[in-house]
Amino acid sequence: MIKGYAGRVLEVDLRARTFSFAPLDEEIARLYIGGKGYGTRLLYDRTPAGIDPLGPENLLIFATGPLNGSVAPQSNRFAVICKSPLTGGIGNATCGGSFALGMKKAGIDILIVTHRADRPLRLEIDGDRDAVEFLDAGDLWGQGTYATQKLLSRKHQHAVIGPAGENLVLFAGIVSNERIAGRTGVGAVMGSKLLKAVSVRGSRKLDMEDPEKFKAYTKEVRKLFEDHPVLGESMKRYGTGGIVNTTNGRNILPTRNFQKGHFDRAMDISGEFLEDHELKGVKTSCIHCPVTCGRDVEVEGVGVVKGPEYETLALLGSNLEIGDIKKVSEWNYHADDLGMDTISLGATLSFAMELVERGMLDATLHFGDQTGITELIQDIGHRRGLGAELADGTKRLAAKYGGHDFAMHVKGLELSAYDPRGSFAQGVEYATTNRGGCHVQGASMYMESVGPLTINPQNLKLKADIPIMQQNIACAINSMVLCIFTTYGMIPKAVHEMDPSSFTHRALAFAFENLPGWMLRGSMRIKGKPMLWFEKWLTYITGTTFSSGHLQEIGARIFNLERMYNLREGLSAADDTLPPRILHESTFPDMDSGHPLHLLLPRYYKKRGWSADGVPLPRTLEKLQVRV
Amino acid sequence: MSVAVQLTYAMAKELGAQRLELEGAKTVADVLRMTRERFAADPARYDELTRVAAVAVNGVLVHYKRGAKTPVRDGDTVAFVKAAAGG
Ligand code: SF4
Repeated sequence: MIKGYAGRVLEVDLRARTFSFAPLDEEIARLYIGGKGYGTRLLYDRTPAGIDPLGPENLLIFATGPLNGSVAPQSNRFAVICKSPLTGGIGNATCGGSFALGMKKAGIDILIVTHRADRPLRLEIDGDRDAVEFLDAGDLWGQGTYATQKLLSRKHQHAVIGPAGENLVLFAGIVSNERIAGRTGVGAVMGSKLLKAVSVRGSRKLDMEDPEKFKAYTKEVRKLFEDHPVLGESMKRYGTGGIVNTTNGRNILPTRNFQKGHFDRAMDISGEFLEDHELKGVKTSCIHCPVTCGRDVEVEGVGVVKGPEYETLALLGSNLEIGDIKKVSEWNYHADDLGMDTISLGATLSFAMELVERGMLDATLHFGDQTGITELIQDIGHRRGLGAELADGTKRLAAKYGGHDFAMHVKGLELSAYDPRGSFAQGVEYATTNRGGCHVQGASMYMESVGPLTINPQNLKLKADIPIMQQNIACAINSMVLCIFTTYGMIPKAVHEMDPSSFTHRALAFAFENLPGWMLRGSMRIKGKPMLWFEKWLTYITGTTFSSGHLQEIGARIFNLERMYNLREGLSAADDTLPPRILHESTFPDMDSGHPLHLLLPRYYKKRGWSADGVPLPRTLEKLQVRV
Repeated sequence: MSVAVQLTYAMAKELGAQRLELEGAKTVADVLRMTRERFAADPARYDELTRVAAVAVNGVLVHYKRGAKTPVRDGDTVAFVKAAAGG
């Protein structure tokens, strides 16, 4: 068995209440690493086209990778893969918490859940005894994610759903500790299987190829992270909310359902404000991560709970024109406890507000007005009244009430909090990312709008190249499974400390922006020695050399397989688009229109090795060894 | 003619105001000078707080325009922007 893997796949059949262990497929591990890559391969191979995402044929796959179970910072995440009920295409999400560590300790790399239980169940897995218990979860059904986890055994690590998952809210997530695998409705799939919780324990240790090198190098990386202006300073001090004032200054902070990119009260919902006023002194972290980007806040009547992250501050704050961080924290708590994605939730609420504003929906919902939102969030989680309609997300709400032009989703997945009109590469990424309008499948905005060395985000230069490079590396990272925030550490401290108006900084930015695309992508494709920390970790753990070139290739393989899955499920180039508001309405005084996707998409397809209608060419698939 | 200035959090804390409204500024250079004047008691503090901040007019960094010579118009927002990361 390749080092770094537990070597086992556990398959659980909820209908028959049986389970079996099988050896990990080393060929799949070699080609797809683990996590999202391995899970996508399984989903593609094991499910026929056209299944109902909420039907028993869908698989629910929990997948770890070779970095999980180690003490490497940012490495304790798991991926969930299934067909998405929100988009009808590939569904996946990753999550911190402690479940990944539990799986590896139990000696399980991949857990495949099949079929549907006949009544609410939970699973207790003991990896040391190779035992799986199918336990009645009737008493837990209806409980929030906080209460559920409290009621479960302390000896296990858990992944649970809340009422949103039970009630098949299409943007329900799966929760481990205070973290959530939020996007694409993976929690609804778990709910459709009547599976309330998976608890796992074991005492196995991770077997590494070169533990000494790994240990010594990890010590160095911890130091590097501690000294890094983003990972050791801004994210540590202000959490992800430290970016609110930056996106606001760049006019890309979603405001009033993306009608604007600037919110006058942004500072009141920023990470700095949270640090100054609300933070209870506790900064939280996923296991072994020194970045501690989590924030605890006090919610009245509830106590100290996880605070909102950037996406939540924007989608439930500025995008609803709410500048009250206490309210946003309260709504964030309700969403977490119900077990649903705050990005889709906030975007669906803002869409409903605009429908009301235009007289297309009769409800008491208004931008800037907090009244009734707490109750509505509860109604969404429980599918009551208007909440039942909002529980289906923006795309379906638009199908019923109209408003397609301002329905802010791609492929059915609501856009996250970087307005692509001020971040063209991010727009291409949103349009083409296989799971839909999401930023953590590449985070191109870091290279053009918010990072320390950015190119002009509003011209065409490199705007088709950066997303490809970023999507590939994100696919690889989500397959290790590492936190995507690790990529923020790739720009060295020295660059952060430069004055942006200095000659050196501007010369660097100029050189970057004027790099030919083929050169940028080509340089990333070189298969050499491992340079970055995650390349070295993978190499020391598995004994196989991983460099940037290897990871770009693996990432491209995963991305193309996801693409083939989506095409098989009926998605097409027509789905590689952005909301009409983004394409046609300008939020910048000097721009007469919106995002120039029509100019960039053909370039993107070509550089990907796809046909003009967005289908991977046979030679592309062959070169990447994507079997379909 | 009024131009709004979006400050960084640290600048806002120092000045006790989230934004400034400046009258009479015609270029970014004017905005920077007038903002610095608000730190009259300690101009070095302004230099320190703005050292790694870029400047944007209506969201567009001025180094993609005419730098400090970039003209500003009534109703424009000039922002001090620091690099950051979120997710
Ligand atoms: S950076 Fe934040 S989200 Fe990522 S692993 Fe660390 S604590 Fe978790």
